[in-house]
Amino acid sequence: MSRKRALIADTFCLMKRRRSAADAVTGDSHAEGAADIRSSLQNLMTLFSRKLFNDSLPPVVLKHQLYSLHSDKTSVDKQLNELRASGELLMFQLGFDSEAFALVFAEDYRAKVLQGEAGRETLETVEKFLDKLIPGCSDLSFNKEKMLKEFLFTDSEITQLVKSGVLTVRDAGSWWLSIPNSGKFIKYFIKGRKAVLGMVKKSKYGEILKTELEGRRTTSHVKFQMKYHIHDIVGAELVECIQTTSGTLLRYVDGNIN
Amino acid sequence: MLSFLYARQSGLDDPVRLRRAESTRRVLSLELNHNRDVARVHGNGINTLDIEVIDGRYMLSGGSDGVIVIYDLENNSKKLQYSCKTVCTVGRSSRHVHKFSVETVQWYPHDTGMFVSSSFDKTMKVWDTETLKPAEEFQFDGNVYCHHMSPVARKHSLIAVGTKDPKVQLCDLKSGSCIHILQGHRGEILSVRWSPRYEHILATASTDSRVRVWDVRRASGSLFTLDQHNGDKSKASSEAVNTAHNGRANGLCFTADGLHLLTTGTDDRMRLWNSATGENTLVNYGKVVNESRKGLKFTVSRGCSPEFVFVPCGTSVAVYGLHSGELITMLRGHYNNVDCCEFHTDYQELYSGGKDCNILAWVPVLRQPDIEDEENNSKRGGTQAAVNPAFEDAWSSDEG
Repeated sequence: MSRKRALIADTFCLMKRRRSAADAVTGDSHAEGAADIRSSLQNLMTLFSRKLFNDSLPPVVLKHQLYSLHSDKTSVDKQLNELRASGELLMFQLGFDSEAFALVFAEDYRAKVLQGEAGRETLETVEKFLDKLIPGCSDLSFNKEKMLKEFLFTDSEITQLVKSGVLTVRDAGSWWLSIPNSGKFIKYFIKGRKAVLGMVKKSKYGEILKTELEGRRTTSHVKFQMKYHIHDIVGAELVECIQTTSGTLLRYVDGNIN
Repeated sequence: MLSFLYARQSGLDDPVRLRRAESTRRVLSLELNHNRDVARVHGNGINTLDIEVIDGRYMLSGGSDGVIVIYDLENNSKKLQYSCKTVCTVGRSSRHVHKFSVETVQWYPHDTGMFVSSSFDKTMKVWDTETLKPAEEFQFDGNVYCHHMSPVARKHSLIAVGTKDPKVQLCDLKSGSCIHILQGHRGEILSVRWSPRYEHILATASTDSRVRVWDVRRASGSLFTLDQHNGDKSKASSEAVNTAHNGRANGLCFTADGLHLLTTGTDDRMRLWNSATGENTLVNYGKVVNESRKGLKFTVSRGCSPEFVFVPCGTSVAVYGLHSGELITMLRGHYNNVDCCEFHTDYQELYSGGKDCNILAWVPVLRQPDIEDEENNSKRGGTQAAVNPAFEDAWSSDEG
């Protein structure tokens, strides 16, 4: 068919590149990329409903929600690693899926944790831990040697950190970094994800237009904003995203357990 | 295209550049062509395909019914319409046919006089192509999932065999026995692959989620295990430390230069590794659906830039850019699950076989004639092929 758009390799797009190179400033493209991710993160953070948790949680975004906004997953991963290395962003392993990582801006995390700790006796230890963590360390979990030798915490201090919710048990002698009070978040998130996926599955032919899904009335199981869940299921490839003339269509992918 | 030809002629460009650009363009335009198909012989699903490296003319296929078929891919008929015919088959009536499903077939890397097949009947047979009788038969204790002979080996003629047993066995063609065992895995070996760069380097993938790289000259264990987190022990849960995948690792493929290794796993991920250091290059291909309980046979293009990976994903074949990780296209055409695919380097064609007993040939689309030529043709009163006026469309425009 003459009207079928053929895939063209980069080498053949010479004319386009020569024209665009004259306008663009190539040196800025790297900085633009990182700023791009940061602005997408901030957009997604606005979708997070703070009131639901009585303002005790910092805005949390999942890593795969970014994949629904940007097409090149490898560059998204690279830029996220840069942000983590510079100490602006923190990543957490949530525990319900080995591939689901939560992202929180470091200042938000610090502010909320200290707010939650205000007035408790664990405040000092938590502050000390946050000071060690935020500019330098980008690990997701810590084992005992690291805590004792590098960070110079005592056993009782580690117990206090676990009590305050900043660390959760991973196995004997190692801990995950975690967000305090995030249990409720995970519970609502999983329930909401299941409910939204169910909505897509039950639609006629197992598919629904994205705009229609955004407009649907949410059941009591769905506590977050619909757009938050949509970014999640699209980014985790739990639904197939198909471009149609009436907009984006989300089709349920068989073989999903949840 | 003309600019490439001119640059090559005047010496501005390396001659290889034109070839690579054209190969890439051809791979990007792969599609099913009604002029080309492959004769349908198998009565049950097709598990494995192999195209010989010397001429690229003969293709072997092994099916779930134990039947092995050899096809002639070359079109000598001077007609556009060509169906790849079978040259010979080891059918169910043969005395030496495998009793159960044939899992892997491979031509002898140096000539087509011999090929090796391994099957779930716990045997591996070395066949003489002329007489279609097995010259050698190796017996094993468990189902044989895969085998591979090194394509560049000059100093040895070892066949690496992966079976239900966690030990990788190396069988020697010269002596006809199993001479070496590689210990280290803790689960069934689903895929083995020799490196196309070094004749002593072997990679194995197993159900214990680990992929190990071995040097067969070494007496002690593997060289290294591929670790998806690159040694960052904090990222994984403690059981998943040092694993290549979060599920069974069931597919292996080296790139043509042997510098990178691709692995697929049942955690629906495909990973690209640096084969010298074992480092995960962290290219993110997204969700590569993988529900195969046996090994997955996938392939990488050769001679293009950028290179492409062809992975069977359910009922279609997914094409990914090797280093960029983006999904280029999905080749849809099979009626049931696709099990194997093989790339023909010289003609940039892809052959895929699956449970629907079909082998489909994906052929690059020919270039469209120039717009000037089309107008000339229409002035002459008709397109090049004679079209019945009832089927001529008088409503669509030529624009767009």
